[in-house]
Amino acid sequence: MKKPDVKLVILGDVNVGKTSLLHRYTERRFKDTVSTVGGAFFLKQWGPYNISIWDTAGREQFHGLGSMYCRGAAAVVLTYDVTNWQSFAELEDRFLALTDTASADCIFAIVGNKADLTDECASVPHPEAERDACPCPSPVSTTKSHKQVVKEDAVALYKRILKYKMLEEKQCQAAEAMCFETSAKSGYNVDLLFETLFDMVVPGILRKRAEGLSQTVDLMECKGTGPKSSCCY
Amino acid sequence: MSIKAFELCLAVERDLLMGDKARINIECIECCGKNLYIGTNDCFIFHFLLEEKSLANGKQTFSVQRQPHKYLGLKKPVNELKAASALNRLIVLCDNTIMLVNMLSLDLIPSGSKIKGVVTFTVNENPVSGDPFCVEICVISIKKRTIQIYMVYEDKVQIVKELSTPEQPSAVSLDGYFLCLAFTTQYIILNYNTGTSQDLFPYDSEEKKPIVKRVGREEFLLAGPGGLGMFATAAGVSQRAPVHWSENVIGAAVCYPYVLALDDGFVTIHSMLDQQLKQTLSFRDGHILQDFEGKVILATTKEVYMLVPLPLERQIQDLLASQRVEEAIVLAEGARRTIPKDKFQVLHRRILQQSGFILFGQLQFLEAKEYFRKGHLDVRELISLYPLLLPSTSTFTRCHPPLHAFADLNHLTQGDHNKIIKCKQFLISYLNEVRTTDVANGCKEDVDTALLKLYAETGHESLLDLVASENSCVLVDCVPWLEKYHKYFALGLLYHYNRQDDTAIQIWIKIVNRDLQDNTRADLFEYIVDFLSFCSNQELVWKYADWVLQQNEKIGVHIFTRRPVNEDKGVKLNPDVVIKYLHKYPQAIVFYLEHLVLDRNIQKEAFHTHLAVLYLERFLDLYSQKKHSSDELSYVRGKLRTFLQQSSLYRVHFILGKIKDTQLDLECAILYGKLEEHDKAMNILVHQLKDFKAAEDYCIWNSKDRDFSYRQKLFHMLLSTYMDPLLTSSELSVAAVDLLNSHAEVFDATWVLRLVPDNWSMQLLCPFLIEAMRKSMHSTRMSQVALALAHSENLIYKHEKLKCQAEKVMLSEKKGCQLCHNTFNNPEFVWYSNGVPVHTHCAMKRNKNLTDMKHLRDASNHT
Ligand SMILES: Nc1nc2c(ncn2[C@@H]2O[C@H](COP(=O)(O)OP(=O)(O)OP(=O)(O)O)[C@@H](O)[C@H]2O)c(=O)[nH]1
Ligand SMILES: [Mg+2]
Repeated sequence: MKKPDVKLVILGDVNVGKTSLLHRYTERRFKDTVSTVGGAFFLKQWGPYNISIWDTAGREQFHGLGSMYCRGAAAVVLTYDVTNWQSFAELEDRFLALTDTASADCIFAIVGNKADLTDECASVPHPEAERDACPCPSPVSTTKSHKQVVKEDAVALYKRILKYKMLEEKQCQAAEAMCFETSAKSGYNVDLLFETLFDMVVPGILRKRAEGLSQTVDLMECKGTGPKSSCCY
Repeated sequence: MSIKAFELCLAVERDLLMGDKARINIECIECCGKNLYIGTNDCFIFHFLLEEKSLANGKQTFSVQRQPHKYLGLKKPVNELKAASALNRLIVLCDNTIMLVNMLSLDLIPSGSKIKGVVTFTVNENPVSGDPFCVEICVISIKKRTIQIYMVYEDKVQIVKELSTPEQPSAVSLDGYFLCLAFTTQYIILNYNTGTSQDLFPYDSEEKKPIVKRVGREEFLLAGPGGLGMFATAAGVSQRAPVHWSENVIGAAVCYPYVLALDDGFVTIHSMLDQQLKQTLSFRDGHILQDFEGKVILATTKEVYMLVPLPLERQIQDLLASQRVEEAIVLAEGARRTIPKDKFQVLHRRILQQSGFILFGQLQFLEAKEYFRKGHLDVRELISLYPLLLPSTSTFTRCHPPLHAFADLNHLTQGDHNKIIKCKQFLISYLNEVRTTDVANGCKEDVDTALLKLYAETGHESLLDLVASENSCVLVDCVPWLEKYHKYFALGLLYHYNRQDDTAIQIWIKIVNRDLQDNTRADLFEYIVDFLSFCSNQELVWKYADWVLQQNEKIGVHIFTRRPVNEDKGVKLNPDVVIKYLHKYPQAIVFYLEHLVLDRNIQKEAFHTHLAVLYLERFLDLYSQKKHSSDELSYVRGKLRTFLQQSSLYRVHFILGKIKDTQLDLECAILYGKLEEHDKAMNILVHQLKDFKAAEDYCIWNSKDRDFSYRQKLFHMLLSTYMDPLLTSSELSVAAVDLLNSHAEVFDATWVLRLVPDNWSMQLLCPFLIEAMRKSMHSTRMSQVALALAHSENLIYKHEKLKCQAEKVMLSEKKGCQLCHNTFNNPEFVWYSNGVPVHTHCAMKRNKNLTDMKHLRDASNHT
């Protein structure tokens, strides 16, 4: 088992499409899912780094596991469903507190999924997604669903999160850059989301490695050096 | 889908324990090496020796041998048993008291070796202190919210630490300093050394019995909400996704890479590698499930069973047999740490290869290829699936046991033609990819031959590239195959590659002659000619020269004319031999001589004369034919004329002899010109042919590269011919006037004027005269310029001379002459402008010696 260098956790209410997002990114298609039990884990090779991505269960029953999953996380993706205000409200009410165990320099992203239901542009299948398109195209409903959460809401939440974390807005990523609207169904913005985050966590890995280096005692190196070894007589 | 990872074997039958006493139950179990201990609810400890036997069919059975048992005399159940084999002690929990008994006799170890008030305990399997003569245990005390750490020695116990916890603990597991504890409402990790703790996740222990199970170094398995088996490390994070049990799990065990869980009806077996459910065993009345150093024991209240893991390879093969490739590989790779490196590599590669074949069978070629590559597959395993592709000389035999169950491609595809085609296309791309890599090392012949066969069979365009470039195709094997698919041209190339050019050419000739059918190249004849022209084997060139020239002289002659310029001396064809040979081929010989004379510029009289004669004969031949095309005739004549004009190596008299009696007056004139018999030539041109333009051209090209006076001479001759007083005609007069007017610059005007009859008007010769005047004016002015320049030069010298004279010269007897080095004995001397005085006679002698006038002028400004 390869040891992950860094952890990314996807949080969000039941049914918002967390599993579907991860699935779209890793397998490049959209398929039926069952509500996640407990949590699932995926290891992504990103250049020389291994990034573990945790897909958590949104069901209330598994809520208690969240803190443990978030422990030491370098990035947290807070996911809601753009057609469901409640799923957005839950992020602040229920999920934000779970991230207390995350790493101090944790990066947050706020992701409104199912954008295909509300925005024309997001429902166009990505060129790459096309080959997976179902053979009988579901009749594109011209009457889009009502968008209950707009991007400004997400931006405002992001700023509140920074306050909650007592972080200076200026020192963090711009709110607009960290709020995404995606569609696991069409693939809209999915690669962008994950890859933006991967790129952002890499400096953290390097920092951690540099710190780790100075803390680790290399047994091969200190062989027979100095008075330290005198205890072995 | 499931796999068989464990097999259930009965170990201790009911009869060996309580028989039919209904109220007596198994309470706890311990297994240590061959020793199996069972504690009952009526305070007995039973001891068995466990004997493992493998049957011929590979199955395992167990037989047990009953040892003396022990009644502890407390009328309470024996709650827990733990062996400390290094101490030869069994740690027993009964009636809230821990006591020690001898492992063999089961005799109680007296006093000082008891711990009272114990709810439950656990042994540290990874203690920080490495003392082999003690065991570290952790105890949950009946005292509220208290935990104690003890050291257990052979005959005593010693408390090391007591900690109070915020909640009542109900289950504990221990690794290093880390306690993993189930509280009433949650699980936590507690470092008993530092006292720091880490919350894991909430869990209601009152509602459901918690499970805390050490799975390895600093990692624990916990019963979680919703029937989850959660993994947590001492650092408080999860490194593996949870496994999904049922809601009412009562026990769990770990046997790498599996976790087993017991509920009221089943034992479920999940893999820790991919968290998938691998096996479900139906088991009623399960009571205890526990692992002991790799052994998994399952018990009801009356009987004891062993869960025997199937050998890893067997499990992997089962997975592969049900085409579960990824799981098989995960399982194999999960065992990397537990198998010696070289053995693992063999196993791993074999599994990858098998997986490759499974995917290949599903026509998932890309994935298959990846596995073949990772598994270092001997590519011949794959080739051998395709009937007849391996050369008959191949020594290959499929590996045993076989990597797959396919007899061959037909078997694999059930004869589906489309599938067969896809498989072949895959093999083509695969072989093409690997043939130049390490993969083909040691079996290049097999790979290339197979590839050639596939190319031939499918009509692939790369066939020619393969046979024409470096390859290891086995010739004997490929010949019949290429013949079968009518790839004769390719066959020729392959013969050529194998240095059998003669055979190659013979085959190609057969194609051109339509004895063989192959349309690969429409220009095969040209190809053969080209081939021969580059062929360094003279014998072959001569052998096929006749065939080639009989096909087409013009192209055929290229075998002689297009040979590489820098051919070796040894293989260079002798032109004389070629000419002699080409006598039979009237066109070819002309082409060949043209090649020698015009292209290669060979300055040899014989070739030039021969070519001139051939041109001439060709012309005469054409001319004599009744129906000749005038175009062709003038073309041939043009060639003859150009050649006669441009070459000066042929034997003029010889040609002249041949040409004299023909109509070829112009050519005759050219020949006279070559002999410098210009009057004869001009006579022909002017009087016979009356072709004044030709006459003018004659003067021009005959004087090319000659000096002006020669040119003038020719023009004067021509003018004289025009103005021959014996043959005057108005026509000639006009020609003369035209000549003068258009070439005024060559003529000597005074000479011309003397010749011109008086009655010619000024008007008539106006252009000539103007040009003549202009010319004479020009020369006058040019000479004036020259004169003036000479004058000024003279003045410069005079100036210098005066400058020299202005200086005084001292001459005494002491001064010597620079030329003869004698002293001056009279006042006469020569003084050079550089201030050097010399004797007059010496200076004169020197001047005489200096042949170069210029020098004289430079050096002697004598007085
Ligand atoms: N239209 C649309 N439907 C989506 C999208 N993403 C997910 N869904 C659907 O939403 C439902 C829930 O998706 P999941 O990915 O299982 O949701 P989840 O967040 O993982 O849910 P839990 O695992 O229960 O927490 C499924 O029926 C998906 O098909 C999307 O981008 N567009
Ligand atoms: Mg999910």
